[in-house]
Amino acid sequence: MIRPVADEAEHGTGLQLKSITKRFGTFVANDAVDLDIRPGEIHCLLGENGAGKSTLMNVLYGLYQPDGGEIVIDGAVQHFANPKAAMAAGIGMVHQHFMLVEVFTVAENMILGREPGLVVDLKAGRATVRELSARYNLPVDPDAVVEDLPVGVQQRVEILKALANDAAYLILDEPTAVLTPQEIDELMVVLQRLRDEGKGIVFITHKLREVRAIADRITVLRRGRVVGRAEPGTSENELAQLMVGRAVDLTVSKQHAEPGPVRLEVENLTVTNSAGAVVVDGISFEVAGGEILCVAGVQGNGQSELADALLGNLPVLSGSVRLDGHDLTDGTPKRAIIAGMGFVPEDRQHDGFIGSFTIAENLVLNRFDRPPFAKGAALDLEAINGNALRLRDEFDIRTPEVQNLGSSLSGGNAQKVVLARELSRELAVLVASQPTRGVDVGAIEFLHKRIVAERDKGTAVMLVSTELEEVEALADRVLVMYRGRVVGIVGPDTPRDVLGMMMAGCSYDEAVALAAAAPTEGGDR
Amino acid sequence: MKKSLTAPVVLGALALALGGCATPPAATSAAPTATAATSVAQSDFKACMVSDAGGFDDKSFNETAYAGLTKAVAELGVQKAEVQSQVAADYAKNVQAMVTAKCDIIVTVGFALGDATAAAAKKNPDIKFAIVDFAYTDEDGKNIAEKNVKGLVFNTAEPSFMAGYLAASLSQTGKVGTFGGAPYPSVTAFMDGYARGVTHFNEQKGKKVAVLGWDVAKKDGTFIGGQDPFGDLSGGKKSASNLVAQGADILLPVAGPAGEGALQVAKASNGKVGSMWVDTDGCISQEQYCAVIPTSVGKAMDVAVFEAIKAAKDGSFSNEPFVGTLENGGAYLAPFHEWDPKVSAETRAELDKIKADIIAGTIKTSA
Amino acid sequence: MAEPEPRTNRLRAWASARWRDWTITLAAFVLALIVGAILMIVADPEVAGNFAYLFTAPGLALGAAWTKVSTAYSALLMGAVGSPSALAATTAAAAPLICAGLAVGLAFRAGLFNIGAQGQAVVGSMAAAWVGFSLPLPPVIHLIVAVLAGLIAGALWGGVVGWLKARTGAHEVIVTIMMNYIASGLLAWALTTSAFQRPGRSDPISPEVAGSATFPQIFEQLHVGFFVALAAALVVAWVLDRSVLGFSIRAVGANPHAAGTAGMNVGATTIITMALAGALAGLAGVMAALGPSVNGVPTPLSEGLVGTVGFDAITVALLGRSKPVGIVFAGLLFGGLSAGGLAMQSVAQTPLTLTLVLQALVVLFVAAPQLVATLVPFLKARKGSVSLTGADA
Repeated sequence: MIRPVADEAEHGTGLQLKSITKRFGTFVANDAVDLDIRPGEIHCLLGENGAGKSTLMNVLYGLYQPDGGEIVIDGAVQHFANPKAAMAAGIGMVHQHFMLVEVFTVAENMILGREPGLVVDLKAGRATVRELSARYNLPVDPDAVVEDLPVGVQQRVEILKALANDAAYLILDEPTAVLTPQEIDELMVVLQRLRDEGKGIVFITHKLREVRAIADRITVLRRGRVVGRAEPGTSENELAQLMVGRAVDLTVSKQHAEPGPVRLEVENLTVTNSAGAVVVDGISFEVAGGEILCVAGVQGNGQSELADALLGNLPVLSGSVRLDGHDLTDGTPKRAIIAGMGFVPEDRQHDGFIGSFTIAENLVLNRFDRPPFAKGAALDLEAINGNALRLRDEFDIRTPEVQNLGSSLSGGNAQKVVLARELSRELAVLVASQPTRGVDVGAIEFLHKRIVAERDKGTAVMLVSTELEEVEALADRVLVMYRGRVVGIVGPDTPRDVLGMMMAGCSYDEAVALAAAAPTEGGDR
Repeated sequence: MKKSLTAPVVLGALALALGGCATPPAATSAAPTATAATSVAQSDFKACMVSDAGGFDDKSFNETAYAGLTKAVAELGVQKAEVQSQVAADYAKNVQAMVTAKCDIIVTVGFALGDATAAAAKKNPDIKFAIVDFAYTDEDGKNIAEKNVKGLVFNTAEPSFMAGYLAASLSQTGKVGTFGGAPYPSVTAFMDGYARGVTHFNEQKGKKVAVLGWDVAKKDGTFIGGQDPFGDLSGGKKSASNLVAQGADILLPVAGPAGEGALQVAKASNGKVGSMWVDTDGCISQEQYCAVIPTSVGKAMDVAVFEAIKAAKDGSFSNEPFVGTLENGGAYLAPFHEWDPKVSAETRAELDKIKADIIAGTIKTSA
Repeated sequence: MAEPEPRTNRLRAWASARWRDWTITLAAFVLALIVGAILMIVADPEVAGNFAYLFTAPGLALGAAWTKVSTAYSALLMGAVGSPSALAATTAAAAPLICAGLAVGLAFRAGLFNIGAQGQAVVGSMAAAWVGFSLPLPPVIHLIVAVLAGLIAGALWGGVVGWLKARTGAHEVIVTIMMNYIASGLLAWALTTSAFQRPGRSDPISPEVAGSATFPQIFEQLHVGFFVALAAALVVAWVLDRSVLGFSIRAVGANPHAAGTAGMNVGATTIITMALAGALAGLAGVMAALGPSVNGVPTPLSEGLVGTVGFDAITVALLGRSKPVGIVFAGLLFGGLSAGGLAMQSVAQTPLTLTLVLQALVVLFVAAPQLVATLVPFLKARKGSVSLTGADA
């Protein structure tokens, strides 16, 4: 299976996983998986959520013990009882959910777990951060507290931590899931530089564009098995088909919008965050029934707070919000929900979903207290269960039992639960933030279709997204936000580089002028 | 796999630690496990005791009463059984448990068991009961106890009066202090007698030694309080430190085990502060603090308990309460031990005089 | 995701997991008893002394140890479940623990750590006892009014904490601890006032509760209060699993952000939960104040009346995994240990401290299944086969 490679002698024989099998009870998460990673390459591990990618990497990192197969580094068989052993063998991992102590500084996080004695040598920690930052060109302030840092910078800290062990192999588990487009681009550059230094990099993702942009080799997993290996030239459609196991429609087929009367009116809305800073600054816009307004912008420019304020989760400082003529300013989430607002929160696990609740319970989270799910003070468990079974089929939520815990679902399926909950009732407006973040290709296709279908039912849709592909695919109009203000509202066919520049704060005219002056570079990846 | 070896190894080690290869004494030495008191004829008479929430190891009240039971076992050859209480809800249950255990006399320790003891006595007329620190009297002081209950009470105000006089004579700062666990009559009796003793000293000597922690006129003073006032050692320490901070240099803690806090404060003061002890002779029960204990106000509960058991066994038991006084030795001032040199001959003579006057009734120690 | 498994497989996995739970609990008991036995032998100089002859006259050493340990344990067993009156004693001790355990468990399900069951029980016992000894009411009505007074007092005491948390963000742990101090101070003060203190007594004790306000005795110490406690557990179970309110409580406990985003009123839920928890703890105080003791009358109100029920309740709730059924069993376990502990003292003359240590050991081992699984190797070996299925990759 392992193809010989010309420069193999130069780099040693690299890292090989041979016939790794891992079971959980009767469930086979990895079924005789082979994988080889050579120094100086970026090896993309592609697969849908639940395909076994993370399990395989956790085996490699010593978090799980394989039930079969072996790990070989430079010809020597390895047994990793724990991550420490794996680290010692030169393997570093950047987890999807960062393993950082949020209230510690970067330097403190850096020395965490490797304090030589009782004394914490913060000076050395700072020095390490500075040295690594300089060496890999990953600027980080060693004294910044982690929770104050943007997600992309937190990830940079994770990468530095992994590199501090002199890792020869670096595993990145869905590193782009939490990043903005700009941050993704920066990460790509970093990874290429690391590759050129001779590191072997495993890049786990389900985003096809990224794979094509950066991979030297691609291995595709489906249901715990290797279903194919591909070269970077392979088309997105081919990769998607390999990954999902069927032909996937990557373009959203939607009719031209037929906007009806205005349903959501936002006027001069100003919102402060909990720290008192103005984060939404005098915004006005309208969304009509039957259209999708995309709010585009780089993460942290007030979109999240805008959505929260519409729901009533953040107090409004001034301005007004009206839905179908009803005033929702300074309301509660309950009022907004009753008025017909569907809400898909940006952070699903944090705000939209309760992992320790059953799937059926999650599906009625916002109307368990009303008929038909409540009879007086009592819950109607049959109605709740029936609702869940119906929505499971309608929204293709992949679970054997709707009474299973929400936490047993993959990201895509959890998002389907959230969307199913919101779309399964009569809506006036749907406010959806990052509805496809951390969701695999098959599910994205489905979610997009459902959102368009909701629009076609006459619902006003406001979609907050930081992913330009999503904006291009779904928007009927695009509102670009920058530092809490509206930069402009433009049409869906606005070129990507113009949108990108507007997201950096340029007005539409400036952006068009700039885009015309500087021809896109592109194509060198 | 390695784990499965742990248990046998631990057991083996334990056996080695405990075990040895000594030879047991010859079987002829007649039942080595039997009690040492072989000289006393064994009796079937069963004497039992229920503690209050302080427990038998309180180095004070319960412990002294328990000593009476132990003495009865040794000297009268009676059988014994005992139960410790933890909370108020235990009292009735625990007395009942002793009834079930077929005791002939049940001694309950503390007025808190008053209700439970009376109820059990009424229900079990064939069993004798004695209760420490409680007497069943009506408003006129008439005895209204059941036929089979004997109250054992102590006029601790008498020796406390002497202790107050002594404290005033020993004080360098001109201030002495006292505090209690909680405002129970058996507690305040000490404090009141103590304060009156100081007043008597002032009157005799024309001095102005002040008493902190008790106001005779208001009948109120300093108490630890809280959920477990008599077990709250740190509360005792705090109360004592407060008094010392206000200038008191001789203390009388009336708080059971919590009173040890005052001894700790005294010990830490390097001889500047002395702390008396109550119920038992502190130099014996709190040996490590002997150097800071000028004297103790004793309640001979052990004697009272022993006498009650003896009377029940002999058939001379009556429901007439026992009142311990200076006269019958049921309440006493303990020896000065290490403080002996500090007590002047003059003071000794005065204390002897006071004792005689109290017994004679010419000095009133309470209102 | 795993392909749907056949039903029988899931059933078998479930049964297997259940079997393991029960064996671990059983093993926990056995381990606690073994450790307790060792302590008992070591603690008794006479018995331990015989171990000097272990290798020369093993019969002497082991015989003495056996006598000691078997007497104590048979007393424990007989005192807890050995006779109808032992069972009655167990239920009497369990009733307040179940109520207070529910108070902690319910709050815990809403993500609130209710350390204040103690204070809530204290005020509950005060209110119930006061109605019981001072209001002249006809039978039945007297009891009902007294119980309600206790419930309301507890609910107010707990509700204040919820209100402070919802309104000002004050942490419930700190507030409940302070409310405990206030409650015990309030009781100490009340017992010095003419409203509470028994006429003619100078020590802090209340009059006896009237017979009309006492829980009717059924058999010896078994009184109606025990069934009230079981009913409370049923109500809490229904509220948590079947009611709209319970859904909010669990949602707020599991993820307050998601609950708020879904339109639930997190603050109101916090207040209601704390008030309910307070009422349940108040009920524990009611049990202490109105439950007839062994002599047929309730123990009069005094400073130590409720004991440490509010703190034991935390253990009960944790042991019962905050589930009503679990709390009932944990409460019965504690009640049995308490009743059996008294028998160990009075019959086997085991010192109280050793009895308490044994109780603590049982709780320790039951609460730490992993420890038991480690100490008992064959249980550990089974662990892998019943692990969670279908972990996400």
